[in-house]
Amino acid sequence: MWWMALQPVLLAAVLGWAGAVKLSGRQAAAVARRTALRTLLGEWRAVLAYRAVGFAEMSVAVVLFGAGPRWLGAAGAVALTGGFLAYLGYARAAAPQSSCGCLGRRRTPVAWRSFVRGGLLLAAALAALASPVAWRDAVRSRPAVAVTVLLAEVALVVVFSSELDHTWLVPLRQARVRLTHPLASDPGTVPLLASVQQVQLSPAYQRVAALLRSDVREYWDDGDWRFLAHAARYESRPVTAVFAVEREHPDPDAVRVAIVDEQSGETLLRFEPELVG
Amino acid sequence: MTSTIDRRRMLAGAALGGAAIVGGTALGSLAPEAAFAAPVDTIEPGAPDPNFVEGRITTVLGTALFATGSDGILHRVQVTNGTSIWKLTPTTFDRISVGDGFYARGVRMDDGTLAADAVWVNIVNLHAHIAAMGRNVLHLDHKGQRIVAHVVPGTTAAVYNGTPAISDLSPLRVGAHVQVIGAWHPDTNEIDIATVYSAA
Repeated sequence: MWWMALQPVLLAAVLGWAGAVKLSGRQAAAVARRTALRTLLGEWRAVLAYRAVGFAEMSVAVVLFGAGPRWLGAAGAVALTGGFLAYLGYARAAAPQSSCGCLGRRRTPVAWRSFVRGGLLLAAALAALASPVAWRDAVRSRPAVAVTVLLAEVALVVVFSSELDHTWLVPLRQARVRLTHPLASDPGTVPLLASVQQVQLSPAYQRVAALLRSDVREYWDDGDWRFLAHAARYESRPVTAVFAVEREHPDPDAVRVAIVDEQSGETLLRFEPELVG
Repeated sequence: MTSTIDRRRMLAGAALGGAAIVGGTALGSLAPEAAFAAPVDTIEPGAPDPNFVEGRITTVLGTALFATGSDGILHRVQVTNGTSIWKLTPTTFDRISVGDGFYARGVRMDDGTLAADAVWVNIVNLHAHIAAMGRNVLHLDHKGQRIVAHVVPGTTAAVYNGTPAISDLSPLRVGAHVQVIGAWHPDTNEIDIATVYSAA
């Protein structure tokens, strides 16, 4: 089980990174308040605990790297990674909207990927505790294989860290979108909203807005014109307000409106831009 | 069908000035100041708006909707031929089905029925991030939950930086924050997109 001896390097890297994130930066306090620690310990103790965890992570990382007895570093790593899993379980149950606050400042809710990562790190810590060989000797005996294994393990941790998605997953998906253009776009069609916006900005709409009772009831195109009909009330009888907009030429000042009594077919009011000098 | 065409021709003619106006234009009384001087219904602060109803439809009977509000209160909503019905786009009463959610605005009748002026069916308003894109699909990350948002070609509109709406969705980026107005598919995590607002 030669690979087990390498695990202190992986753990030192991950814990060192996590500790540095928690100890450095002015945002650390704000990050701490978004975590489930706030539910667990209260507002100001959450920040203290967050910093303390960061300090513990940093210390264990230094010991794992070789500044102390091998068993001490490995035991510390088992305690920390086991504690993280328990904390994740608590966060998922007690404060599912809270952020993990694990490896980065980005807001990332606790999800299945966090648990997989926690499990991987706990397994690595247990392997480190069980290994009789120092990591320096293991690396010295097979340097190329050791570097490959460690890089693969780091990649695995990154893949299961949603707070690091913006460094690789998002750019990857952006690149795929640039290549495949998955969203059909038909610049030829003018969406209804464009006409509604035009109507709502128009002097015609200002004149009759207080009469309108409904949202857009129906709309249709005829030639260059688009018509939008609303139900309205005029002199206490139900009427229809019909707006006419030039579909392709967004000019609110050119919007026309008529108030029509559909029962009798009479036009009761009309607003045309040219009628108002 | 013919009546719809005739009706629309009549309405279009009225708007474009083809028909005579009965009783003068009377536009003077419709200046904005006069129009907005209409009395406003006053509602006690904190009291529910009597002219608003929301809920899930349990029964459709004739042109009446029976619904259960999110607070458990039962509502009866009467739809008339003057009611606007929105379900992704302006649509008709027969497109409403049991299980749909809705918001309705109208006038409360004496028997407690809401005579609806406007009904918005399954409408949702989400602030989310685009996590990924598929063929005519946005996968949205909404507070850690995944929402599948379908693009409906010809209907879906996009507004970038507050400029007029267009149908071109190509400026949308993975990772971007968006606001989406859409129509929910009841009891799923899927929606159809009516409008997506984004910076671009």
